[in-house]
Amino acid sequence: MNTTVESQLSIRNLSKVFKTGDGVRNISLDIAKGEMVTLLGPSGCGKTTVLRSIGGFLEPDHGDILIRGNSVLNLPPEKRPTAMVFQSYNLWPHMTVYENLAFGLKIRKYKKPDIEREVTAALELVQLSSAASKNPTQLSGGQQQRVALARALLLKPDVLLLDEPFSALDAKLRMEMREELRDIQTLTEMTMVFVTHDQEEALSISDRIVVMHGGQIEQLSTPQEIYDAPQSSFVASFIGRINVLKGVSDGQHITVGELRVPNPNVALPIGDCIVAVRPEDIYLSTQAGGLEGQIRQVMVLGHYAEISVNYKEETLKVFVPREQAATLHPGQSISLMFHKMNVFPAISVSEVAPRQEAHA
Amino acid sequence: MMMNASVKKGILGLALVIPSFLILFFVVIVPIVYAIRESLIDENGSGFGLANYIRLFTEPTMRKNIIYTLNVTIVSTLLSLVISYSLAVYLRFGHGWVVKWINRLYFIPMFVPGVIATYGLITMYGNHGWLSRLLLLIGIDTFPKIIYDYNGLVLANLWFNIPFATMLLSSALAAVPNSVIESARDAGANIGQLFFRFVLPLSYKTMWVAITFIFMGVIGSFTAPFLIGANSPQVLGVAMQQVFSNYQETHTASAMAVLMFLLCSVMGYFYIRTMGKEG
Ligand SMILES: Nc1ncnc2c1ncn2[C@@H]1O[C@H](COP(=O)(O)OP(=O)(O)OP(=O)(O)O)[C@@H](O)[C@H]1O
Ligand SMILES: [Mg+2]
Repeated sequence: MNTTVESQLSIRNLSKVFKTGDGVRNISLDIAKGEMVTLLGPSGCGKTTVLRSIGGFLEPDHGDILIRGNSVLNLPPEKRPTAMVFQSYNLWPHMTVYENLAFGLKIRKYKKPDIEREVTAALELVQLSSAASKNPTQLSGGQQQRVALARALLLKPDVLLLDEPFSALDAKLRMEMREELRDIQTLTEMTMVFVTHDQEEALSISDRIVVMHGGQIEQLSTPQEIYDAPQSSFVASFIGRINVLKGVSDGQHITVGELRVPNPNVALPIGDCIVAVRPEDIYLSTQAGGLEGQIRQVMVLGHYAEISVNYKEETLKVFVPREQAATLHPGQSISLMFHKMNVFPAISVSEVAPRQEAHA
Repeated sequence: MMMNASVKKGILGLALVIPSFLILFFVVIVPIVYAIRESLIDENGSGFGLANYIRLFTEPTMRKNIIYTLNVTIVSTLLSLVISYSLAVYLRFGHGWVVKWINRLYFIPMFVPGVIATYGLITMYGNHGWLSRLLLLIGIDTFPKIIYDYNGLVLANLWFNIPFATMLLSSALAAVPNSVIESARDAGANIGQLFFRFVLPLSYKTMWVAITFIFMGVIGSFTAPFLIGANSPQVLGVAMQQVFSNYQETHTASAMAVLMFLLCSVMGYFYIRTMGKEG
């Protein structure tokens, strides 16, 4: 991103290491106004740590955090132009849902009718109009989470921080809330940092995704790029379904079993490598010439089918259109070829390699 | 004879309640009724009426004693509350070694028997106590009168009540989650709003428990005021003892006891009303 244009949120070389040695290191990130950036990664990779540093609840060891060009490091949470939806909701048990929402507006000296209008609208938005006079303890986890979302949205922060805000919702509601949030975001042009460990959620909601692993940024790209061109085997295996095979590189070519394809990745060291292929990028054929496998299972899943193919000791997953699935049956010998694949150095999990793609 | 389940349950419940009710009856209710009856009999034994109570409120010494008692009680209660609340807040939200040490030390006074503590106060603050002698060493020879005075009494009450109240309030504040404080700050609450809108409401009930216990303890106290209180006015506990044994006016003493009981009941009423509230 262009850092000469003022970013809404700019994180520079942020490090926060706990006594235990866990934490985050060297996080740099620029987020434009109105952008929705997702921090994605497995549990314990440091997503909450980054978010809490932005919100002012953790003091970083190194680095700086700027909002609209000004460092906020010396501001306490109550003075930062951020609002947070906490992973554990953090509703106030001694106030009703309505009071929970109204509090922030009250201390911002809003007039009573304005507060009433805004709170009512926010409750409608999260589909909880009937819960206004209830106590947070009388709500389900999912309902509490939606109240927490409404409460933070009402504050109209410069940067909205969301820590797994939909984790307690069922699949249907989660999808609805996701769309709702994206609409709000487009409408209000609110800048959002969204934390999730759900890759599907990240792919569907974000302008850009930050894939984190072990306290560091593994890749920062658009969802499309993350999916199509993962820069490490970690990203490849974390995002979407993927088959991982062992290969050997001689510099010019990659050999996977009987297949030999040109190697487009000059940076790949000679020797063992990892070949990652998405299920939709595998082509099944009755004609020889690819990897020789045997169909183990055919599972029709609506408009497409998932085929399990035994290849040596591995079981590969292949997605095919339903029409083709009708011609396939368990036990059948089949040849596998790849439309597209990603190759990575064999040992490295976290090292960032240049873009690697090959067509076979 | 047929007995349905609910009747059986009722009988069982009654059987379980009866022992404690009997104890309550003989240990609390009977003495109270007896004291009320006694208090209504005129001191010269002539008749039945409110004469003793009228005396309590009209006779200057008695009136002074009552006002003095209320004064000592209310001031001691408020001071204890403010100090222990501040201490509890500091212990809950503060950091560092000072907090650690206060946490280890603050309840020690609870383990010192009242009589011993009172004598401790006398040897420290007394006219020839070590504090005055210490001050004399550095040239200050005008030592204020603390012991055998109002101040000494309040000081003793603080000594007795702060540790316990701090302990109560600390446990209440420990139950206020950090997450609540964090989200309140995130919403923009400053220190004052944090305290009055979050910490106080979330520890309000325990605060009333503390107030009630301090109040009851102070208003009925005897040992400390007997040892270091002024000769006049006196707190009700000491005055009652004198009226009872020095003047042998049992009926007046009973009236004083009933009055003290009524004052405590007022407190008890507020206590029960607060505890009854939801949330
Ligand atoms: N206050 C703390 N003290 C010590 N270690 C901590 C603290 N907070 C977090 N950690 C550690 O730092 C690492 C990152 O934690 P963090 O909460 O940021 O993970 P996360 O990505 O949000 O995980 P999750 O998806 O489970 O919420 C973890 O290993 C965690 O154990
Ligand atoms: Mg987290």
